Amino acid sequence: MLALFPQRWLAFALILPQTLLIALFFYLPVYLAFYWSFTLERPFGGGSEFVGLQNYARVLADPEFWRSLRLTFVFMVIGSTLAIVIPLILALAADRHIRLSQPARNILVWPKGVAGASIGLVFVFIFNPFLGLLAPLNAVFPGIWNPRIDGADAFTMIVVAHVWGGIPFNFVVLLSGLQAVPQVLHRAAALDGAGPWRRVRDVQLPLIAPQLFLTFALEFTESVTGAFGLIDSMTEGGPGGSTTLLVYKIYVDGFRGYDLSGAATQTALLMIFVLILTAFQFLVLERRVRYER
Amino acid sequence: MVENTKSIDRVAGLILALGMGFVLLPLVVALVTATQAYETVLTGGLSWLPGDQLLVNIARVFEETALPGQLVNSFVAAMLVATLKCLFAFMTALAIVFFQIRWGGALFALTLVTIMLPLDLRVITTYQVAADVGMPVNLVLDVFGIGPLMRLSVLDTWFGLAAPLVAHGTGTFLFRQAFLAMPRDLPRAAVMDGAGPVRFALDILLPLSRAPLIALFIMMFLGGWTQYLWPLVAASRPDMQTAVVGLSRLANDMPGAVPDYPLIMAGALVVSAIPLAMVALLQRFIVRGYALSEK
Repeated sequence: MLALFPQRWLAFALILPQTLLIALFFYLPVYLAFYWSFTLERPFGGGSEFVGLQNYARVLADPEFWRSLRLTFVFMVIGSTLAIVIPLILALAADRHIRLSQPARNILVWPKGVAGASIGLVFVFIFNPFLGLLAPLNAVFPGIWNPRIDGADAFTMIVVAHVWGGIPFNFVVLLSGLQAVPQVLHRAAALDGAGPWRRVRDVQLPLIAPQLFLTFALEFTESVTGAFGLIDSMTEGGPGGSTTLLVYKIYVDGFRGYDLSGAATQTALLMIFVLILTAFQFLVLERRVRYER
Repeated sequence: MVENTKSIDRVAGLILALGMGFVLLPLVVALVTATQAYETVLTGGLSWLPGDQLLVNIARVFEETALPGQLVNSFVAAMLVATLKCLFAFMTALAIVFFQIRWGGALFALTLVTIMLPLDLRVITTYQVAADVGMPVNLVLDVFGIGPLMRLSVLDTWFGLAAPLVAHGTGTFLFRQAFLAMPRDLPRAAVMDGAGPVRFALDILLPLSRAPLIALFIMMFLGGWTQYLWPLVAASRPDMQTAVVGLSRLANDMPGAVPDYPLIMAGALVVSAIPLAMVALLQRFIVRGYALSEK
């Protein structure tokens, strides 16, 4: 910090607007979620009473909660892995400076401009069992694809839409990492007899470890929360709760069921889950990432 | 590349073509379906043959749905998010980097924590705060046994749609990095020449941070426009909802077994036209914005 200007009051005025907003719309809600998880909140402001750990006991005894948490975890693992591996393959291809690299670098960023809740509506049509792309398949093998009945189909559909939306950021970041790999290293490895595949494994991937770490770190949090728009526009949590990730369950419990205490308790648990995940990434994974080149 | 590897380049080309195909598939489906009549889709399902109903369907979006007004809401909310975010983040980073404040480090850390817990995660309680923004005052008054002063709700307002999205630390982080990357002697020279903090910020710092500023503005605009969960709960009146929410409600509330897909697809095109055009045309700023966020 350079600490050039001594004007205290001016500095205070400069930080005030954003700090107020963060206090009001970040720290107060986070505090409230934990506070409410220890009280019984009545909807429509009917007062509250302290109930200790009762909310936690109720939530943790609810099989629906565990199911949502498990689905969140499965979605996080499958969704994020695909949402990084596919852009990684695309970035490796685009890094070869072929004719299609230039248009690809433009078009692959387009999903950034489309809301998940909007593209979800298009994917619902594409995956419609009777009208969509897979309708001919259903005509041959009746009932093989129906996301309205089969939970696994519905889950797959959301993963596909999630990967679609994740392409821009992951592709751009991974490609910028690949382009920063010095050509000298490629040549040296090639001289030593390493073929293109070997170079991907032993030169490129280790050198873009920081970018891979970054995409994973952000993608994990994103997959926990970002699927909401897709779920709400594609399956509304169904069929039979098979796509009700925790972020969707919290919304349904809080805004449709008016169970504020239950929703706040699940929010608190989900926050702890995300914080543990973030801490794990930075303490365990990041140590293995070497930043120097 | 190093060696002459035609076959590998061919595979790479195929991969890129597949990738672009995957990205374009839903967009092309939306475009083609928007040109068809409802009856065509009802009988034939998804078809790649363009019809002649594009203008009819788009006209229906503007005449039969609430989307025109909701587009205005989206635009205003996204502009508010981007403008306030850039302004407040610039101010905060300015104070943290260039002013003598002892608690600058702590403030910065507290600002960064916001990145770890996105708005979608704490939507339940943020909604309660937005419904009663005087809550902190009321909580204090409550301790002294005085009843709540008043309930001031920012739900169903443009400010309410935007403000919680501004309460986020990325911008501050970005500007701080940009400020610290500048040559140290620059601000010293400015001070020696008699520039005060305001003059320094406006005449030296602002022009030098133009690139991250534009990148941040575009990213925040796109983020504000495509936001879903917060505007879904923060605006209950259809005339205050954003276009993305309006479109999704439109599709969900449609009667009948087969929704009016041509209308929905035309709506999806209308809703996504502005941000999509921005992404396609302002490409380099987005790439820059992403590159900045990784540091």
